[in-house]
Parts: sequence; C-alpha cells; structure tokens
Amino acid sequence: MFEAPSFSSLNLDVALPGIFLAGWATLLLIVDLFIPKERRRLTVWLALAGIAVTFVLNLVMYNRHEEAFKGMFIADPFSGFLNIVILLTAIMGILLSVDYLRRTGIERGEFYSLILFTTVGMIFMAGANDLISVFVALELLSIPLYVLSAFRAPDLKSEESGLKYFIMGAFASAFFVFGAAMVYGATGTTNLPEIFSALGGLGQPGGPSVFLMILGAGLIIVGLGFKVAAVPFHMWTPDVYEGAPTPVTAFMSVGAKAGGFAALLRILIVGLPILTVNEQAAAAWQTTLWLIAAATLILGNIVAISQSNVKRMLAYSSIAHAGYILMAVAAAGTPGIGDQAAQAALVYLLSYMFTNMGAFAIALSIEKDDGSGTGIDDFKGLGKSRPLMAAMMSVFMLSLTGIPLTAGFMGKWLVFQAAIQANLIPLAIIGVLTSVVSAFYYARIIINMYFGEGEGDSAEGATSYVRWTVYVAFAGTVLLGVAPMLVTTLTDRVSLAVSMLP
Amino acid sequence: MVQTDAYIVLSLVLFVLGTLGVLLRRNAILVFMSVELMLNATNLALAAFARHWGQESGHLFVFFIITVAAAEVAVGLALIVAIFRSKRSINIDELHQMEG
Amino acid sequence: MENTGFSLLTLVLFLPLVGFTILLFIREQQESAIKWTAFGTSLVTFVASLLLWIGFNNQEAGLQFVQRGEWLPSYGISYYVGIDGLSLLMVILTTFIMPIAILSSFNSHIFHERGRVKLYYLFMLLLEWAMIGVFVAQDLVIFYIFWEVTLVPMYFLIGIWGAERRIYAAIKFFLYTMAGSILMLLAILYVGIQAGTFAVPEIIAGIQNGTISFAFDGLFSTQSFLFLGFFIAFAIKVPIWPLHSWLPDAHVQAPTAGSVILAGVLLKMGTYGLVRFCLPLYPEASVAWAPVIAVLAVIGIIYGAWVSYAQTDVKKLVAYSSVSHLGFVVLGIFALNAQGIEGGILQMVNHGISTGGLFLLVGMLYERRHTKDIAAYGGIWKALPLFGAISLVVTLSSMGLPGLNGFIGEFTILLGAFGSDVLGFFYAMFATIGVILAAVYMLYMFQKVYLGELDKEENKNLPPLMWNEIAVLIPILIAIFLIGLQPAPFFNTMNASVGELVAHVGQFVTTVAQAVP
Repeated sequence: MFEAPSFSSLNLDVALPGIFLAGWATLLLIVDLFIPKERRRLTVWLALAGIAVTFVLNLVMYNRHEEAFKGMFIADPFSGFLNIVILLTAIMGILLSVDYLRRTGIERGEFYSLILFTTVGMIFMAGANDLISVFVALELLSIPLYVLSAFRAPDLKSEESGLKYFIMGAFASAFFVFGAAMVYGATGTTNLPEIFSALGGLGQPGGPSVFLMILGAGLIIVGLGFKVAAVPFHMWTPDVYEGAPTPVTAFMSVGAKAGGFAALLRILIVGLPILTVNEQAAAAWQTTLWLIAAATLILGNIVAISQSNVKRMLAYSSIAHAGYILMAVAAAGTPGIGDQAAQAALVYLLSYMFTNMGAFAIALSIEKDDGSGTGIDDFKGLGKSRPLMAAMMSVFMLSLTGIPLTAGFMGKWLVFQAAIQANLIPLAIIGVLTSVVSAFYYARIIINMYFGEGEGDSAEGATSYVRWTVYVAFAGTVLLGVAPMLVTTLTDRVSLAVSMLP
Repeated sequence: MVQTDAYIVLSLVLFVLGTLGVLLRRNAILVFMSVELMLNATNLALAAFARHWGQESGHLFVFFIITVAAAEVAVGLALIVAIFRSKRSINIDELHQMEG
Repeated sequence: MENTGFSLLTLVLFLPLVGFTILLFIREQQESAIKWTAFGTSLVTFVASLLLWIGFNNQEAGLQFVQRGEWLPSYGISYYVGIDGLSLLMVILTTFIMPIAILSSFNSHIFHERGRVKLYYLFMLLLEWAMIGVFVAQDLVIFYIFWEVTLVPMYFLIGIWGAERRIYAAIKFFLYTMAGSILMLLAILYVGIQAGTFAVPEIIAGIQNGTISFAFDGLFSTQSFLFLGFFIAFAIKVPIWPLHSWLPDAHVQAPTAGSVILAGVLLKMGTYGLVRFCLPLYPEASVAWAPVIAVLAVIGIIYGAWVSYAQTDVKKLVAYSSVSHLGFVVLGIFALNAQGIEGGILQMVNHGISTGGLFLLVGMLYERRHTKDIAAYGGIWKALPLFGAISLVVTLSSMGLPGLNGFIGEFTILLGAFGSDVLGFFYAMFATIGVILAAVYMLYMFQKVYLGELDKEENKNLPPLMWNEIAVLIPILIAIFLIGLQPAPFFNTMNASVGELVAHVGQFVTTVAQAVP
C-alpha cells in the first residue's frame, strides 16, 4: 500500500532555497561554537551570506511553477515573491540586531541561527501546498520566534513576552491542526489542490461532509488568524511586541505576518474556495472574513490612538495593517478576483515590510540600552537633533498612513481596488475611514518630532548598520511609491486560482 | 467495530476540554498541558480518519504532530522554567509587566 | 494629438522638482542661496507657464500639450497630462502666486523664531509641484496622487512655522481634508473599474457615445453616490458651507506665505475639481444636485460675509471672506451655463489674487506690530501712506468694485445664475445680498485699520515697506487692474473648453428633469 518514493521523484531542487538555508542555519549553529567571542561579527556575516545566496537562488527560480515532495511543496511566483519579502526582512532584522544585541548585553551566537531557522519556516510556509507542510512550516516559523521574543532574559518583560507568545502560538497551532484534521476527515486528503477537487461533491451523498468542512475551515482561519493578529485573535500582539527585543519585534511583525498570510491566501484560494460550490456557502464564508477584516481594521486603528509606547503603537498598527491585507483575503473569495487579490496582498506585504522595518529601525535608534526610551514622547525634537532620521521617520509614518508617493499608498490602492472589484464596498469604506483615523496617531509622531518643543534625542542607537537599514527601507518605501511598476512586473505573474469547477 | 463517528465525537470532546483548560486554567504548566490535550485530540481524529479513508497520510500527519509537539514542549518548558526563576511563580495572571 | 514625447507641460510640472533637488544639495547655513534658488525656480516656472499660454490655441476645446506615458500599465494607470483653457488659467495662477509667496517670506519673523529655512523652501517647491500636478493631471489616479501630496507640505508649513495654535490647526487641516478625499479614492476606483480606464478624456468620450454610463435614477443612485464621493472631497477643499470649519483655523495659524497659497491656490483645487471632474463625469447627478449645492453656496456667501463682519481678528476676517467669495464661484459653476462657469473660473483667479493680496497685507502688518487684533490698529494710512493706498486697491478689488477684477467675476456669475435653467432669479437675488455685505465688512475693516486717527503710540513709528514687500505687491496690483480693465483674453482662453463642457452637460438637463420631478 505504501510505496517509498524514489529520491529523484522528490524534486528536491524545486525547494532548493529553503533547503539550502536550512542546511546553512544548522551549519552556522555548529560553526558558531568555534568562533571566539571577540569575533562574533563573523557569525553575522555568515548568516547574511547564507541569506544572500538564498536570495539569489530564489530570484533565479522565480518563474518556475513546479512541485516538490510529491505535491506537498510548490515553487511558483507567489512563493517566489514572498521569499523576496521574507529574505529582505531577515537581512534587515539581522542588521538591526548586530549592535543592539551588543549594547543590551545579549549577544549570543544562537540568535542568528534562530533567525535563519524561522526564516526557513517562513519560506516553507510560502511554498506549502499541503496542510501537513503548512503545519510543519508554521511550527518551524513559530518556535524560534518564541525563543527570540524571550531572548532578553532574565528581563521580565522579555520573558513574559516569550511565554505569552508561546502559549498563544501553541493554542493557535492546536486550532489550526484540528481544523486540518477535520478537512482531512471530510475529503480524505491534505493536499490543497486535491481538497479543491474533492469539494466538487460537497454535501452530496458520498461527498465531503459539510459540517466537517465548515468546522475545519473555520478552525484553520482561527489558527492562522492568531498568527497574523486578526481581531478577535490579536490580544497577544501588543504585549509580545512590547516585551520582545526591538529587532525581533521588527522582524516578526513583518515575517510572521508574511508567513501567515501566505498560508491563508494559498489555503483559501487554492484549497478551500467553497464559495464556488454553493452560493450560500460563498456568502457566509466571505461574510465571516469580511467581519474579521472590518473588526481588525476598526480595533487596530482605534486602540492605537491611545498608546504612549511606540512599540505598542506599532503593534496595534500592525493589527490594523493585517486588517487591510485581510480585505484582500476577503476579496479573494469572489470568483475571478483571487489572483488580483493575492497580488494586492503581496504588494501590500512588501510595502509594509519596507515601511515597518524603517519605522522600527528608528524606534530602535532612540531606545536606551535598558529598553526604556520607547515612548511616543521620546520622539520630541528629533527633527532638530537628527534631521535626516526625522525626515525618514516622517516618510515612514506617511507611508503607513497611505499618503501617495509612498509604498503604503500603492499597497492600499491595490487592496481597495480588489475589494471594490469584489463588490465589498462597505468594507472598502470602513478601510478608507479607518485610514483617516490612523493618520491621527501616525501624525502624532511627526508632530512630536517637528512641531513641538524639546531638545531631541541624540539617537545613539543609530549605528552604521542601523542607518543603512533605514536608508534601504527609505529607498524601498519611496521607490515603491513612485515606480510601482518595478514590483508589479513581478506580481503580475502570480497566479494561484485553480480553474473553476465545472 | 466502532464507527468513525464515535472517535470523532470523542476527539471533539477532548478538544473542547483542552480549549476550556487553556482559557480557564491559570497555571502555565496546566495551560500547556491543555494545549497538549488539544493536539492529542487531533491525533485521535486523524488516526480515525486515516482508518476511515483507508490510507496512510493521516498517520503521517500524526507523526509530524507528535514530533512538533515534542519540540514545542522543549521550548515551552524552558520558557516556563526561566520565568519561574525570575518570578518564583508561573501564574499567568501575574504576568502583567506591560499594560495598555 | 497623443504625444508620448517630451512636452512643455511636463517641463512646467517638473521644474519645481528640479529646484527641490538643487535645494537638497545646498547647505543649511547658506540661507540666501536657498532663498534665491527657491525664488529663481518659481520665477522660471512662471515664465515657462507663460510660454504655455503663448503656445495655447484658444479655438481648440480639447486638451493641448498632451503627454502620455505608461505608469502602471497592468492596472490601467498612465502618466497623462494635458491642459485646456481651465487648467491653463489655474496653472498660471499657481505659478504666479508661488514666486510672490516665496519672495514675501524672505525676511519673515518665522525664520528668527523657528529657523529651518531650507526645510521651508523645500516644502514650498514640493507644494508647487503637487499643485501644478493637480491642475494638469488627466488620469484620475495621477490626479489623486497629486491631490493628496499637496496635503503634506501644507501640513508641515502650518505645523512648524505657524502661530500659537499651529498643532491643532495643522492636524485639523490634515484630517479634515484627508477624510474628505479618501472617499473620492473609492469613487475613483469604482469609476476606473467600471470604465476600464482612469483617463478622464476617455471616460468622458465614453459617456458621450454611450459606451460608459453610471446608473442614474434620482438623487440617490449609483451615479449620485459617485458624484457625492467626488463632491465632498472638493467641497471640503473649497470649502462649501457647512464643511468650512477647518479653514479659519488653518488660515489664521498658517504663516503668511502659507495663507497666501491656501487662499490663492489650494482652495481653487476644490472648485477646479468640481468643473473638471464632477460636471463632465456625472452630468445627470450634477444637474440633479445643482439646486441643493447652489443653496449651500448661497448660504455660504451670506454666512461668510456675516461672520467676517463679526471678527476682531483681521486675518480671520479675511479667512471668512474666502468662504463667501468661493460661494460665488460654486454658485457660478452650478448655474451650469457658459456665463456662470466662465464667471466662476475667472472669479477663482480673482479670488486668488485679491485674497492672496489681502493675506500679504495682513502679514506685513503682523510683521510690524505682531498682532492681528483689529482694535490694535487705526490710522495706518497716515503712518504708511503707500501701504495704505495699495491696501485700498486690494480691498476694493476683493469687494467687487467696477473697474477692478472682482467685479467682472461676480457680475458674470450673477448673470449666469439669473439666466440658468436649473437655478434662477432667487439664487441670484440672495447672492446679490452677499455682494452688498462684502462691501460692508471690507469697508469696516479698512476703516478700522487704515483710517481714523493715528492714536496708538506703537503705530507711529512703523518701519516702511521693504524692497521685497513692494516687489510682491506690484504684480498683484498689475493683475488686479489687468483683469478689471481687460478681461477678454482670460475669457477667450477658456471659451472653447467651457463651451464644450456646457454642451456636454446640457444634453442631460431634460433627461434629469424627467427622472427627478
């Protein structure tokens, strides 16, 4: 009954970027033991080199559309594009960490291996084409992040952040995996395209059970909803973001989100477009996502207003941005819009990556060695003391608001376009109105930096590594806003939707 | 022979118990054990479904879950130990360094 | 006349950005180099825009100096610029006001208090670029981009160099206008998806030959919602009563040059949008909603005048007078006939010049006395006769005295409203009350500030006008007399374009009369 597959039929080369990075991370873990403490920089450069090679491998393979591990993994432009986002996030995350770890006294070599491992998890998440591989990738993504969040131990905030993230993450995984089990029970397969074809007989005698399908799909959404911090599964986010070391917060706010949305989009577009089967199911399904998106937008943006700590503010802002991407996910439920919605979500993730990494980099620059100095008020007068930093922070804030000529605008534009095309006009209206609300708290940082009194922080954390990260983030934010065609030529090739059922 | 449905009902019950445990228990270790209960409920369901469909990918999934759960335990317990060292308590209600 | 090559219009549009780039490389300390670079850039842009006018063909109704290039082809968005008579006048108004605003702030007190000269002029040039962009963009998305970008430099100008309550004013300005325009974003998306293109001329052509239509069957239908999406954005910018509450704060708190630009150009973006987008894209909804909007306009005319009269702050008085004047413009536009719209467009130019001039004068007073309280002045004419005389001309122009520019605009608008198919006698009559009230509050202000006895000690030794202050007032005076005595070239410029627009909208007047009884 069980036939061992031949080695060559696994198509390992298709998953090469991920496999390479996994191997590199393992090697780094060992090699690091032999690197003397005073030459710790070597670990950093080795980690960056590994990511760079993976990046190149990924670009070379960008246009492929092939499966590996008997259909459990797929390399296509969708995963290729996400890998770009993920790897850039990892590079920036590492660059932000180098001096931060040293000045806060937590410089340990495992840090970089852990970053690489979670990056591998994200990469496999982007290409996972089977509920089992989604689960394994999800855990590979999450477990190192739990450790990274608590990396500042014995600092209580950091330990607390790690434990909270761990409990919530494990809880969410349990939901996801139970949902996957139910879907398996209904269809007899865990492979996404096969689930899709099995759904043809949904509700008919001998076909998949509607109850199991709805239960399973619902639990999967809950599980991934935790990962991407969608309301009502968001409550861990502010505490974890605040307590974790700032470079880790920056890294996971983008990376974990990219991984979570990768799985969410692929599962919903490839595996579970229940929508195409039955009109009523379609409506209920889309309405659920719609409500989650709307709640996420509203709560994230409104609660962010009252925050006084910039890390918490960015945490709520990241919840809000998950809401915008969820708009695209909800839009993907309308037949024929799937690909467009996926492209919009991808551009949004890239734009969020540049902007958010930049914003965190600057927050990290004014942070003190003991973890204080992350208040919104600590930005006062930065326009005088560090004009260039303040100018770039302003651009990041405008981009998060969605003002044109920045990346944030292009992301929002495409997401709204997908939502309107999918006829989700009320959701689009909620989306734009909450953007106005968001302008309020982003503008507060600008006000503090420029309009008020105050001496201004000297931003001693802005070492050359951090500055270069800010420059790259700034260049990306502006370039994506002014010349979005550079990116859309890549996303135009993304196609997830399986042909409609007969 | 027991019907597949019976296994599923049992696994649902276990899953719900686990969920309630996570939500109601305050001791980090017990919360963590409740999560394990949820995972094992999943394993039971998968094994039952695998028999129902007469194919092995369900079993495969179970092995992955067991492995991953072990990894999770390692990290989770380490975190709990670390926090116990600094706080002398693992009550999750007492984790409130951050407010907002 | 599609042209993918280089166009003079693109040059005019991007000149301020060239200056912006040069400015980036000048060191913060070299203040005079910064000032002169900014001024030089804006002056060159003005000259270049005059070349546009010289090369402009009055007889042609369609777009000229068109340039179109791909921007985001897979989403149907193109860099598409072009001008017709309306756009041309607005571009020239912008390039005319900008050098004045820049030169007027050369010796401003704000630099002594707040510094950051370089940042200030960077924002000025960025603002000029975005404003010209608004007036020349023919693709809805590109238009929206420029429209939103204008917010940012103005936000900083108010926030950094404004008066005491600048933070409040800046954030109110930013949120208020953003809230308005964001619904336009959705309307633009909807239109673009329905029409399959974001290019305005293509959409209008589609509406004319029936390939594109937005369902219309009353005051609340798809087309009306789209119309309102655009209209609210523009109405906030204009501002039309009751959406004006951001304006007094922004005007009063902004530095002088900021107020001049706000009054001179930014508000015109709203009225320009009404003519350029609302009317041709949604002709039925425009016709149906015209009476409602005209009522708001008339209320604004009277309300603005009334509140102006009650002010004790001279800058606030001028700010509220804008509400009143722009009410005339909106009334003219929604008369939906050639006279009304042409009068409205000319009045946009007039208001830019006169009110811009008034803000300059108020700013000069403030530089000398550091107060905006009307009661603190009196007898200024005796202290500064030249200044007083110039102020008289600008005040009379703003009032609408025959022979000066304001009269021509208001008179044409009233004629248009009177003869309109959708409005009529009563609208014109109530608007006329506004003209009378304007005389009342303007003369009241003039009398309190300039006439009477020079009884306050502080007012006796005011420093005379500086060279740059005289230099900015002269072009204002020239423009006031030029339009007042020779309005024909201005009307000729827009005749053909407005004629086509009126013909386009006019087709729908009877259709709407059947749909909306």
